[in-house]
This record gives sequence, structure tokens and C-alpha cells, in this order.
Amino acid sequence: MASSQHVLLSPAELAYLHASLSLTPPIRPDGRSPTQFRPLVAETGILPGTNGSARICFADGTEAIVGVKAEVERTRTRHDFPSLDEGAEGDDDDLEDNQHDVVKGDNDWVEMTVEIPGYRDDDAGTVFLSAMLSEALLADGEFTKRLWINRRFHWKLYLDILLISPPLSYPLPLLSLTTHLALLATRLPRLKSEGDEDPLFDDDWAAAAYLYPRPAAKKGSKKTTSFATPTARPPVTLLVMAVGNNIIFDPSKEELAVADVALAVSVGESSNPSSSTAMDIETEETKGHHNLRILSVRTIDPPSRLTPPGIPNASNSAYGANAAGAKDTEKKKQQQEQARTAESEAVEGVWKAPRGGAKPLVLAALVQKVLEKGGVADEVLDALDGVDLN
Amino acid sequence: MADRRRINGPVGTTIAPIYDDAPEQKSQVAMATRSRPANVIRKMYLKTGVTPSASGSAYLEIESSGNGGSGLKLSCSVHGPRALPRSTPFSPHIILSTHVKFAPFATKQRRGYLRDPIERDLGTHLEAALRGSIIADRWPKSGVDIIISIVEGEQDREISKAQGIEAWDTMNALSGCITVASAALADAGIDCVDTVAGGVAALVQDAGDDAAPSIVVDPIPAEHEKVLAACCIAYLPTRQEVTNLWFKGDLPASDMDVYTQLVEKGIQASKSANRVLVDCLNETVG
Repeated sequence: MASSQHVLLSPAELAYLHASLSLTPPIRPDGRSPTQFRPLVAETGILPGTNGSARICFADGTEAIVGVKAEVERTRTRHDFPSLDEGAEGDDDDLEDNQHDVVKGDNDWVEMTVEIPGYRDDDAGTVFLSAMLSEALLADGEFTKRLWINRRFHWKLYLDILLISPPLSYPLPLLSLTTHLALLATRLPRLKSEGDEDPLFDDDWAAAAYLYPRPAAKKGSKKTTSFATPTARPPVTLLVMAVGNNIIFDPSKEELAVADVALAVSVGESSNPSSSTAMDIETEETKGHHNLRILSVRTIDPPSRLTPPGIPNASNSAYGANAAGAKDTEKKKQQQEQARTAESEAVEGVWKAPRGGAKPLVLAALVQKVLEKGGVADEVLDALDGVDLN
Repeated sequence: MADRRRINGPVGTTIAPIYDDAPEQKSQVAMATRSRPANVIRKMYLKTGVTPSASGSAYLEIESSGNGGSGLKLSCSVHGPRALPRSTPFSPHIILSTHVKFAPFATKQRRGYLRDPIERDLGTHLEAALRGSIIADRWPKSGVDIIISIVEGEQDREISKAQGIEAWDTMNALSGCITVASAALADAGIDCVDTVAGGVAALVQDAGDDAAPSIVVDPIPAEHEKVLAACCIAYLPTRQEVTNLWFKGDLPASDMDVYTQLVEKGIQASKSANRVLVDCLNETVG
């Protein structure tokens, strides 16, 4: 679907676009720098009927909303999974001690649907998008633990991701950012009951706890909280592509149409730094450093492979190739050879859909560029901190 | 009066009780451990031309782990290239359609006849891997169908009880799918830049002494205490290019080296699989 949708550009236009993106520095059609994102409008808490919601609107007119709904569900006891009911035999004191260890999550507790107008929900592209988003969310196994209520009950979280505009560009970054914000804004009612009782909740919505807890210091002192904020947060999936020697972030549809390789990289942030010494260093460092984790990487089939090729003059009959004049066999042979090179080798200024894959070094460079300190992932997470979560 | 013609089931869902063996006995059953060296893939059997009616086909079998489990058994058939129906818009390239389906009886948990999201996702990955290797502009206005049925999934009868193991198994399934589809494409005589083969590498934590995580190729998740990250690669050896990369796991961004090593090992696994593939194709020709 989305990545392979047709782009209405002629081979000549594609060749021009490819050439201008391969320059150093690249010249992008909308004048952005290689790592610059499209401007966007973001807001959270737009849907009062949900536990958390967000809306993001990109400058190119694509818009997505995400609603998160939570339901209490009875946990099915799994007889084949002994670690879940380990504490059952122990006496009560023991149980209290184990309480923390018992917290277990299950990937079935999260249900994600992606809806893109004009596409069936079982379309390969839609399924690919939702697999990618949920894979990143569930990768570290920490997220589902947040949905645990007690040994008998858990929250079931429904994440509904809606693209409400036609997919003008590959919607992955948009959907991922919107989901991120919606999850940050998600609140679950405060639990009043204790232990393994049937859960009873506080009906005061103001007392509801955030799914991703905030630090105690709140909006009053924004600047100082910047290094207190990194408790864990939901993952962000970024789209990166390479053209020639350039690495370009957040490609538009036209740019993606000439990509040599496109990669979706999911990045998360962990709350607990690996060691205490590392933490000391981090606090000294400037703000904007995040304790990043790489959660998933997927190549995306670039739509450039489906673009129509241009025809070089050597094999274009309008320019004398295979013309009636070529009588003698010698000349014919030469022309055939020319045609063959035209098929296998690139002719400057003539567009040819890329063949083969990407060099491992290029792929490594793409991932490196996302994750490096002060790189794009850091920047995006910083920018998302600026969104007011109400 | 109550309806006596039918016996309704209970309202809530229940699970039939399973009585565990005594715990002592359980601990005695040692967990299977990896017997291969860390950089050797399992033996595999590949044969092309198994389905006479298809224009190309192949069958792949990967050795089982050896303790009551089953190996992976895949069969792939390629139909085409054939003309597209008149109603389809013009395409300057061959249109690939990939279809991956687990047989309903292939895994421990029965699969339905309709493809579930995992199978569709596998299909998309496979398509990305193959599209890089096919020389698509030699067949304008035509399509090819690649149909893979996973006759038997990889599973271990003893251990794959715990959650999350199936998620890692899909990577092994994908690498098998890529290799078998590549063989079937060659059998169908569809021009490719190179034979693409799949390989998996994983960062695993072994049981027992708190050993440091190590990287192994072609992992069997049941043989390790925990899989931290895994990576499936489709690689073109003569061009030294990767057509599909799928990494999943949880790694700190500070040690990019681990990620790079994981990708390298994946490429190595893919090269090993490619040797089997080339031998098999040579046998058919010779």
C-alpha cells in the first residue's frame, strides 16, 4: 500500500529529483535541511470520551488522531505459565514480598488498529504499519506491566489510530508521533481497592494516574525539570532514507519515490540508566540527552522500485536507435551492445529504478545517524517534550 | 420453559485444567542447550521442482532441534510471469504478490484458514526481500504470484510454553521463506540480479551462570534462557547488498557495536544458507 502507491512523476522529473537530493548538501524540494522535519501542529486530550488522545497535523495536510481506551479485563490464569501464579501457594507475608516480582504483562493486553482511508484494514501495508508500531511498543516488555492491576485483573488497552486525511505521504512517522503523544496523555483511574480484590476505582478523574508517570515537579518550573522528565516513555518510529551519499529524514512522498533505501527505526527511552557512573555523567551533560534504546529496525520497500524507467537516447528509436539505416551487421551488433549497457548501467540524467538492495554500511550509517548523541532521535524527543499534555 | 433442544456452554470462557508434573521432576528435565557452534546454521534440505503444475517451486526443510520438536518445513510455488488482467492499470514492472500461510496444523496453536496479521506481515517482508533481487523491468505488464505454505512450523514440544517464543520463531520462518522463494524463482526462470537467501542472528542470554549475552546465528529460542534481540537479513552475496533487514529487540543505543555485529552475523547466516541454495540449483542444472 502506502509505500508503494503510485507517484505521478515522469522519469525526467525523478532523475532531476534524485540528482538534486544526491548533491552535498542535498537540495530538497521543500527547502528543508536533511534532518529537518515538516512543521506540525500537535495537541492532546482532544477526545473527552477516551483515556488519552492526541491529534497531529503535518504541514502537507496529513492529519491523524489516536484514541486510547482502557477496559478492565479478568486475567486468564495460565496453567502452562507457572511464573504467573508462583506466589499463590505462599502465605500472605510472602505474597507481599513477591508482589513486585509478580507483576507480569501479556502482549494480548494491547490491541492496536490502524485505519487509513481508502485501504482495507487487512491490506498488507496497513498490517505492516500496525505490526511495526505495536512491535516497538511491546519490544521491551515493560509497557504491558503498566497494565497490571492485580493478579486477577488487568487493563486491556485499545489503541485506535486513524489517519483522517488521505495518505499524501507515507504515514508512518505521523502515526508514530501521534501514538506517542496519546500514550503520554493516557490516564487510568486511580485504584482504590487493595490486593487481589475486585478492582474498585476512584471516580475522580482529576486523581487518575498517568500511564507514563510524570515527575512530581510540574509545569511551574519547566526548564529545571528537563532532566527529571526521563521516566520511560513510549517509542517513536522514525523514517529515514538514503539517496546517494545523503541521509534524509522525514521524506515526503516525492522524495521517497527516488529513495535508494528506506528504513523505519524505532527508538525508545529507558528509565533506568545502565550504571550509576553513567548517570553521574549524564546529569552533568547538557539537557537533551536521552537514554535511548533501539527497539526495532525494518527496511521499507521503497516505491522507487516501481517507478517507470527513462529511455536513454542510445536505445530510443526516435534518436536513431534500431533505425532502418543500420543495415550492416557490424553496426547492429554495436547498437545491441549499447542497448545492453543501457539496461544494466546507469546513464547520467536518465532515471532507472534502483535494483538490488543496500550496502550494509549504508544501513548501519542510517541507524547510527538516528541514534547518535544529539542526533535526530534526541531532537524529536525534546520537541515532543514541548507539547502540553493536559 | 427452558430450551431443551440444545445444551448451552458456560457463559464465561474457561480453560481445561492441566495438571503439571511434580516440580522436582520438572527441574530434572534439563533445558535443551545449543550443541552447534555459535556461527553454524542448522542443516537444511532444499529441492526445486516439486510442484509440476507451477512454473517454479521449491521445498525446504530445516533440521529439528532434536528433542521431540519439529523443524521448519516450507513449500513454495511460483505462478507466472503471466499477463495481468485487462482491467489492471499499466505497470512498467512485474507485479509481485506474495502469500505466506501457516498450515492450520503447523503450530502448537491452531491457525485459521484466513491469514492473520503475522502472516500478512511476513508476506510484506518477503515481498521487500524479493523485489530487490528480481530484475523487474524485464516483464512489463505482467504479474507473478509467490505462494508459500508453511507445512510445519518450528517448535519445541517441551519448552515453548512460555510466552514470547513464537514472536522469535517468526524470524526463523521469514528467513526460510526468503530462501525457499528464491529457489522457486530461479526454478521458474525469472531473472534475478542474484540469489537472495535469508539468515537470522540473535543476541541471547544463556541459562545458568550469569554469562554475558552472546551472539549466535540461526537461533532456536527454546535453547536459550532469553532472547534479547534478533535480526533477520536477506542478502545478495555477489553484490554484497542487503535487500531486507528486520531487527527486533531491546538494545541500548550506546552500544551500536552489538547491533552491527548482529547484522554481520545475520549476513553470515544468510551466506551459509546461500551456499545450500546454489548447490541445489547447480544440481538441478547439472
